[in-house]
Amino acid sequence: MKDKLKDFVNEHRDEFDVFEPRPELWQEICQDLPESRKEKEGKVIKISFGERASFSADFFFMRVAAAVVLLLGCGLTLYLMKQQVTKEPTPIAAIAPAVSTESIAPELAEVEAYYVSQIQEKKSQLSAYDRKVLGLDEQAEIDLELARLDNSYLQLKKQLYTNPNTSEIVDAMVQNLQIRIKVLNRQLEVLQQLEQMEQEPTNEPQKDDTTNV
Amino acid sequence: MEGTDCRISAGKKSETLNRNSLKNISYQDVNHQVIERCKGGDNRAQYELYKLYAKAMFNVSMRITNDYAEAEDVLQEAFVSAFKKLHSYKAEASFGSWLKRIVVNASINAIRKRRSELVPMDERVVGEVPDEEYNDDSEWQVENVRRAIQQLPDGYRVVLTLYLLEGFDHGEIAEILGITESTSKSQYSRARKKLLEIMKAPQFVA
Repeated sequence: MKDKLKDFVNEHRDEFDVFEPRPELWQEICQDLPESRKEKEGKVIKISFGERASFSADFFFMRVAAAVVLLLGCGLTLYLMKQQVTKEPTPIAAIAPAVSTESIAPELAEVEAYYVSQIQEKKSQLSAYDRKVLGLDEQAEIDLELARLDNSYLQLKKQLYTNPNTSEIVDAMVQNLQIRIKVLNRQLEVLQQLEQMEQEPTNEPQKDDTTNV
Repeated sequence: MEGTDCRISAGKKSETLNRNSLKNISYQDVNHQVIERCKGGDNRAQYELYKLYAKAMFNVSMRITNDYAEAEDVLQEAFVSAFKKLHSYKAEASFGSWLKRIVVNASINAIRKRRSELVPMDERVVGEVPDEEYNDDSEWQVENVRRAIQQLPDGYRVVLTLYLLEGFDHGEIAEILGITESTSKSQYSRARKKLLEIMKAPQFVA
């Protein structure tokens, strides 16, 4: 079917476009576009505000990644802190890193080594008694006292780096170690007395028991 | 600008005629980058696309609605919705014809709102309207044809412009308007006849 009108229009198609929209129409369209530049700028701010409203997929991914990093960081610091805390109560471990203090107080390492060996010796003697004498209230108090001394020792050690009065601090540290030995010695004495006292009375009641039966 | 407009309004037509197909490909590639930037919400890219298509799309809407203010509303609505659903645009068709489809649908919705019925319910296929031979086509002038189209009643004008100017075939028009293909055909031939009558009328020429 021939359509001359159609042919005519085809030939002059662009001539039919005679109208133009108002130039300001684009401004009106812009206002109706929610995801324009505004959103792009807002995205960065939105993360710090933690608004959940509208996120494009890639930004959501970034948020997740940031959260994972943050959690890992927190976990790691907590883990490291916990490790330090568990190490602290054992005096040997606390005293061991004295190497770094050598430059400040060179004689300290030697003194420390001497006292540490002394303390360890007393401790092993004490633990031998521990097995024999159970349920002794004093033991817990002594442990507390030792822990307290250990703490102040550590603090003194820290002060070595900051305090110019090195010899005074070293003296205090030595004193601290001597107190420990004293404490341990006294404990040993108490235990020895207890042992002697126990050996005597145990003989008597045993006899009594046998006579009674 | 002039060249792009031509290609846009040619839209589908140039594809079917396989005319300047090479041009079409490079033209799509140029748009591709801009469209990708638009998808990311780039305001300047959106303006670039708007500048490229606004005039052609405005004329499409103007021809269907036949009302300047309404055509502007349609253009605004169509661009906003096009930018919003740009992610659903697959490069199957050219961007121009995708956008044109949005504009056409928005325009038709606009007239539907103001007139309840676009195409008269009378669907009986009026046997081919006798094709009187108008041999005076040499006298046709774009301005006259354009003005005559504007004088057509809505139902006629929509089918006629979709077919003649926007390059849709009757199958597509039937789909767009929700009518049958034969209704589209008969409506077109009636509209065409009416158009020629208008142009022949003495008061029109004057």
